Amino acid sequence: MQLEIITPEENIYQGEVDMVNLPGSDGFFGLLDGHAPLVSTLKAGDIKITENGSEKSFTVKGGVVEVNNNKVIVLAE
Amino acid sequence: MANLKEIRNRITSISSTMQITSAMKMVSAAKLRKAQNAVTQMRPYANKLQEILSNVSATLDSSEGIYSTEREIKNVLLVSITSNRGLCGGFNSNVIKTVKRLAETEYQGKNVTVLSIGKKSTDAFKSTKLGIKGTLLPRHAETVWDELTFENSTEIAENLMMQYAEGHQDKIVLVYNQFKNAAVQLVQEEQFLPVLPPEVQEDANSSADYIYEPNKEFIIEEMIPKSLKTQLFKALLDSMASEHGARMTAMHKATDNAKDLQDDLKLVYNKARQASITNEILEIVAGAEALG
Repeated sequence: MQLEIITPEENIYQGEVDMVNLPGSDGFFGLLDGHAPLVSTLKAGDIKITENGSEKSFTVKGGVVEVNNNKVIVLAE
Repeated sequence: MANLKEIRNRITSISSTMQITSAMKMVSAAKLRKAQNAVTQMRPYANKLQEILSNVSATLDSSEGIYSTEREIKNVLLVSITSNRGLCGGFNSNVIKTVKRLAETEYQGKNVTVLSIGKKSTDAFKSTKLGIKGTLLPRHAETVWDELTFENSTEIAENLMMQYAEGHQDKIVLVYNQFKNAAVQLVQEEQFLPVLPPEVQEDANSSADYIYEPNKEFIIEEMIPKSLKTQLFKALLDSMASEHGARMTAMHKATDNAKDLQDDLKLVYNKARQASITNEILEIVAGAEALG
């Protein structure tokens, strides 16, 4: 699935990923390929991305995530 | 006719001014490019945020939140966004004029205060009764231009939201220069608080059945402050791009003017030089004749 992480100042990540773990307001949750459409708010924490077996991590202060058509868009702060 | 030395001095002084203005123009052009990039960078974020917000609020009555309830307007805060430095044409005075006009017409009889972002506006309002007093002034209002980041602008936005939420102000309006292109800036008055209901796009993909986590109300409550911070940040970025655009245009005109002035003076100088040579020859010839 496609992932984009956007902040007001730059586009920090864009690409194909296998899984993404997000710090949702009600606790961590993971998104896999083919997830149903979703809108959720995020709290401060780490976003963990798994792509081809390697892991990446970004720290955010909060944000919103939208999932639609196998595309994940994270608006981070 | 002015003597030769005087004209020469003026020419030198004009050409050094010209050097300064053309250097400033170059610097502004470079800064303008950077500022424009920043505006482009934040556009996808702002658009997406707006899209989600209007998607969510399309199915929800959002006139209830602490930032969207309309109260009777008694206290109005005008946020006057100018630059710290001058030499940029009508850039600052346009904003200041608009703020004064708003205070005297639309919000006449209300308790109007002005929050200045940028030294030029602070200077203009500090001697009037409009200037903001007391502890409500955000710390970063002056220094935000030194380093314009989302974080710095957030502090101001949070301060504004606090003033509204606690009832110090009933309406907050941003006045700033919107960037059209390097030569054109438009002064904008934009309502900041209370929040205007987001425009509902008919063709938005509202058909998608979203899962809302934890729930719609919570998401709206979280997103409205974000959208306000984005709005202020966008206004600040726009103003910065406009400032550099305005300065670039002003300096370009100043350089052209200096060039014209220099050309005219060169002509005068050459005429004066020739006249003095003619005089000298006349004197020599007259002297020779007198001797012969």
